[in-house]
Amino acid sequence: MTDIPLTEPLQPTPLGTTHPDAARSDSFVTLPPGVARIATLVGVAGTIVSTFMSWTYTSAFPGDLTVNGYPGGLQVLTLIGAILTGLVALGAFGVKGLTWLVPNRSPNAVLLLAAGTFATTWYAVIAIAQELGGLANLNPGGFVAAVASLVLLVGTLGLPIDRQPLDPSGAEYYELGRLSENGPARGTYRWLRQARLNHGELPVPDPARAPAWVQYLTIVVVAAAGVKVLTYGLATGYTELFIGYLILVVFTLWAFIAAGLTRQFSKITADHRPFAALMGVVAAVAYPFVQNNEHWANLGVNILIFGTVALGLNIVVGLTGLLDLGYVAFLGVGAYAAALVSGSQYSIWSGVEFPFWAAALTGMAASLVFGVLIGAPTLRLRGDYLAIVTLGFGEIFRIAVNNLDGVSGPKVTNGPNGISQIPDLSVFGYNLGDPHQFGSITLGRFANYYLLMLVITVIVVLVFTRASDSRIGRSWIAIREDETAATAMGINGFRVKLIAFALGASLAGLAGTVSAHVTYSVVPNPYQFSGAAPPNSAFLLAAVVLGGMGTVSGPVLGAALLYIVPEKLGFLQRYELFAFGVTLILIMRFRPEGIIPNRRRKLEFHQDEALLPAQQALGDGTAALGKAGA
Amino acid sequence: MRHRSLLLLTTVLTTGALTLTACGSRSDDGKKSGDDGSSGTGSNITLTIGVDAPLTGQNSATGLGLQYGTQIAVDDANSKKLVPGVTFKVKALDDKALPATGQQNATALVQDSNVIATVGPLNSGVAESMQQVFATANMVEISPANTNPDLTQGKDWASGKKVRPFKTYFRTATTDANQGGFAADYAYNTLKKKNVFVVDDKQAYGAGLAAIFKGKFASLGGKIAGTDHVNTGDTDYSALVTKIKQSHADMLYYGGQYDESELITKQLKAGGVNIPLMGGDGMYSDTYIKTAGKAATGDLATSVGVPVSTLPAAQNFIKAYKAKGYPGDYGTYGGYSYDAATAIINAVKTVMDANGGKLPAMNDARAKLVDAVQKTDFDGIAGHVSFDQYGDTTNKQLTVYQVKNGAWTAVKSGVYSG
Amino acid sequence: MHTLPQQLANGLFLGSMYGLIAIGYTMVYGIVQLINFAHGEIFMTGAFGALTVWNCLPDGMNIWAALPLMLIGGAIVSVLIAVGAERFAYRPLRGAPRLAPLITAIGLSLALQQAIFVWYPGADNAKDFPQLGTHPYHLGSIAIQRNDIFLVAAAVVCMVGLAAFVRTSRTGRAMQATAQDPDTAQLMGIDTNRIIVIAFAIGGLFAAVAGVAFGLKYGQITYNMGFQAGLKAFTAAVLGGIGNIYGAMLGGLVLGIAEACATAYIANIPGMHQLGGQGWANVWAFVLLIVVLLVRPQGLLGERVADRA
Repeated sequence: MTDIPLTEPLQPTPLGTTHPDAARSDSFVTLPPGVARIATLVGVAGTIVSTFMSWTYTSAFPGDLTVNGYPGGLQVLTLIGAILTGLVALGAFGVKGLTWLVPNRSPNAVLLLAAGTFATTWYAVIAIAQELGGLANLNPGGFVAAVASLVLLVGTLGLPIDRQPLDPSGAEYYELGRLSENGPARGTYRWLRQARLNHGELPVPDPARAPAWVQYLTIVVVAAAGVKVLTYGLATGYTELFIGYLILVVFTLWAFIAAGLTRQFSKITADHRPFAALMGVVAAVAYPFVQNNEHWANLGVNILIFGTVALGLNIVVGLTGLLDLGYVAFLGVGAYAAALVSGSQYSIWSGVEFPFWAAALTGMAASLVFGVLIGAPTLRLRGDYLAIVTLGFGEIFRIAVNNLDGVSGPKVTNGPNGISQIPDLSVFGYNLGDPHQFGSITLGRFANYYLLMLVITVIVVLVFTRASDSRIGRSWIAIREDETAATAMGINGFRVKLIAFALGASLAGLAGTVSAHVTYSVVPNPYQFSGAAPPNSAFLLAAVVLGGMGTVSGPVLGAALLYIVPEKLGFLQRYELFAFGVTLILIMRFRPEGIIPNRRRKLEFHQDEALLPAQQALGDGTAALGKAGA
Repeated sequence: MRHRSLLLLTTVLTTGALTLTACGSRSDDGKKSGDDGSSGTGSNITLTIGVDAPLTGQNSATGLGLQYGTQIAVDDANSKKLVPGVTFKVKALDDKALPATGQQNATALVQDSNVIATVGPLNSGVAESMQQVFATANMVEISPANTNPDLTQGKDWASGKKVRPFKTYFRTATTDANQGGFAADYAYNTLKKKNVFVVDDKQAYGAGLAAIFKGKFASLGGKIAGTDHVNTGDTDYSALVTKIKQSHADMLYYGGQYDESELITKQLKAGGVNIPLMGGDGMYSDTYIKTAGKAATGDLATSVGVPVSTLPAAQNFIKAYKAKGYPGDYGTYGGYSYDAATAIINAVKTVMDANGGKLPAMNDARAKLVDAVQKTDFDGIAGHVSFDQYGDTTNKQLTVYQVKNGAWTAVKSGVYSG
Repeated sequence: MHTLPQQLANGLFLGSMYGLIAIGYTMVYGIVQLINFAHGEIFMTGAFGALTVWNCLPDGMNIWAALPLMLIGGAIVSVLIAVGAERFAYRPLRGAPRLAPLITAIGLSLALQQAIFVWYPGADNAKDFPQLGTHPYHLGSIAIQRNDIFLVAAAVVCMVGLAAFVRTSRTGRAMQATAQDPDTAQLMGIDTNRIIVIAFAIGGLFAAVAGVAFGLKYGQITYNMGFQAGLKAFTAAVLGGIGNIYGAMLGGLVLGIAEACATAYIANIPGMHQLGGQGWANVWAFVLLIVVLLVRPQGLLGERVADRA
């Protein structure tokens, strides 16, 4: 149901001189085209030069920005940003040999990169002034950097930026309602809508025409660069550097999207899916070798565990559309099952020590049993009831393991003290608890577990992709889209949903078996609905939605972001959860399909925007009719 | 053209990667020289004491007490120059009361080559995931708050087979075993209570304490009128109060934190059951009296050490805490944190003295610190600090406090001997 | 001494509070099929709003005189937040798949909770709340607090008022129509947006009343009190038949009494002595919900369309 004001017929806006469907380009700052280009290049050059100068006279600011002739810390980020901006700008201006950087010839990418460079530089300068107390702490280099990056930004704002087609008048009524009668509010809103960059529809050359080896090499290089960028971000030693890094990475990725590079790249990966997947795995395997640090390996394991569980939840939520609010309990069931058969002296079967494969199967089987037990009665009910029952199950699980200690319940889980001193795993005689030498690199305990968890993640990804491409996967999607219609087409809704629910549960149980060994202990507290850190049911759901429902890479990316960003942004401390909540609201508001959208999902969420121009073309009467019937 | 562009791409990426790598090594150097520069003299070194505690969320008030208790100890050591040539600083990490996060913090502290030892954590469940990490790295961990006997004495401590699982783990808090026993003794012999209802919050600390109290009280000849367990976060205890009323108990023993016990005592008195509530050091806090109000009058709590008012050092600590306006609740574990940090600082001095006034290489220093901490022997602000062969504090001095006129008043202080 | 009457009374008081909160869930669900997860937090902010009013009033003021002002203050806060959430967080997502508003609700719930925790002075510990005296009245063997009497009275007044409003007023009938079929209702000239806002506002109002009653009953409020209460209230709403306002109240009462009885009596059943008590009460509450859903999927009173609002 949409609520277009029927009294106000759709009309092309009087603001636009062109047809709203037509491509439109407009600069933000009016400059002669030549001046804008020159300003851009001068800004790039100035910014690059500034990073070789000293920005502040004291080394009290982290990263030591006092050295002349050798960029360090935040200066490096500015330098990289400026170089990228320069290259992309030259490409956009048509310099031969660089045009491939901007396949769609749009200057939008230049603007975004310039904005990223500007933001990083100004953030650095402001941080210096604020932390050291005043602008007096800036050396000339700092001022040069600030001015040059400002020139760069202004120059790119003068370029002819590709924009979204103009809106029909009255479009703001959707969003603003009564507020649209308020002049300033409507004006601001209209300006914001017009300011939106357009980079979705601009045509790009098909990369499939390039030689095959170029395509393969691109995948390799991108994977390598991905590992490098990720490990650099993780290794950032202080908060200021991480924030600068975050700003630059976000803007650069956005610029690559705006340039059409990501579209080309996703086409290449789609054409060479097995190879791309292989490279992804190789990059992931390389991580503990490149980033040879136990803390980051530990973080890596936790991210993989969290991401794998999120992927399992994605089957239930993303593919089948079942709302599971107690999913973390299945992780807990797997972890407890594995702990009980691990040979820990705190287990009630302390003599029993299963080999890893058997423990993993036990964890999966236990979760599967619970999944069927919960699913069988409730999946016959309507969707919303499943939400409350799973929420209840999550609570029951936590309370029950807390009480099953022989005092306030049968003796199974050792109650609040949990099962601790879980011995390390040994796979084919390779003890995961000990450090192992590989050439000059020593893989510590957490690196070993990281690699083991990676194997599990790959298995889960395979299960996920094979299942979603199969007959049953299509039934899941059909159920999600319209259960009544799917049932009418002969799909046994209950059975299909139960399979999804049980499969999701057992994948979480599998991840749980590893997590029990990694943390040496299982205790009831972490398995709650919402808490301060992942994994808990709310964070899992957020990872799936944030990353993109129904995709493979989405939830893993979402999980990584939810784990790394709070970890690195220590300064947020008590504001962290508040920021998390607000972020969830904003993401749902502005990009509900997630960071990596499933194609079908994207259409669902942006139905109005996709249909509107088309309907416009048909004329007012049809549009109104079509909408009213929709 | 394709070939050329490819070349360009590779060049750009390689350059970028190289620059990044170069930067990584450079910023490390910069950091070290920065530390040297900030402390003034060239020969001065900076050592970090890690803190792990829940600093945000539900247990954060107590967790922040750990952080700033340690901070004050470090400030004192720096201003008194307890260890010449060494400036101490605190690196506090937030474990959010989650084992996996605590473990991550442990690996981060171990990896940080400036961290010499760690104070924390608050929760026994978190400690379980951290102990092994510190043991592998030979790094001292002193918890000011863990009370679960398993952590130092192994699984079968109750049957007398005590085995120390980790030689790097110490604690300045006493185990539940001492406190629960002392409380039972006081309730039976001094208060002459014969019929006690026992409730706990089903957390490692509370359940352990309540179980030991129950066992000791029964063995003294008292009667357990009934038992029940609550969930942390519950607010309505009316059904429980009715049960207690029916049991005709003459005292309620509660194992847990003040968050729940302040509600229970209020609802108990409002339900017309005028019996005292007794608990452990988890509720020995001014917050309890403030929130429970008049209902708290007559309630009791045990705590480790002699009463703070008899020790000038402790009063200075409280004064410093209030003067600096630190957040959090110093009452419960702040003093133990201070003592834990001081034990580390003293041990650093021992290690350096044995090495000719210099700190050995970090791995070596950490290993030597374990032995030095084991031999700790000084008077802290919460009593005498030294560790037995299991890493437990030898301070068996316990005090019973009662709420009188809106304040905790010491009513009995003594040594518990099993 | 037999304790059953006292335990029933305990359950009745607790249940009245669940019911008051559950009405907010059920009204919103009935009209827009949205589980407003943040409703527990709206209840919490209502209590904090009332406490702020109390703290602004001169010291030593009579609590009976202050109570109306506190109720108004709490209601203003809760209703503003509820309506604001609808306007800026939920409405833009109305056409989207139902997961989107749910995630928004979880985010909103976290944000509200943390906002109070971080910015309300002293809210990292429990905050004192004034009480209407703590000496119980005795009715036979039952001890009753004045605070509990207020709670039950408030629940009855709210319930009767709401029933009258929905049945007789023009807006109330428009609400029923919108609940039945929003598209048709809109074609009949009902401004469904307005109706949805009113549903959120009434939910917020009742949550504020429940928040004040909570503070009076327990003498303290905490920043995270909304989660447990909201979870229970949502359970109550489903138990009674979601979308049905009488069902919400009945579900609340049944749930409260079930919890009290589980705490008191489950342990007396042979073979279950370890599975009773306060610790397991929540588990039994959810078990009751699951059993009811299996036997009567539409809830105790069902989602009778005629009464849905």
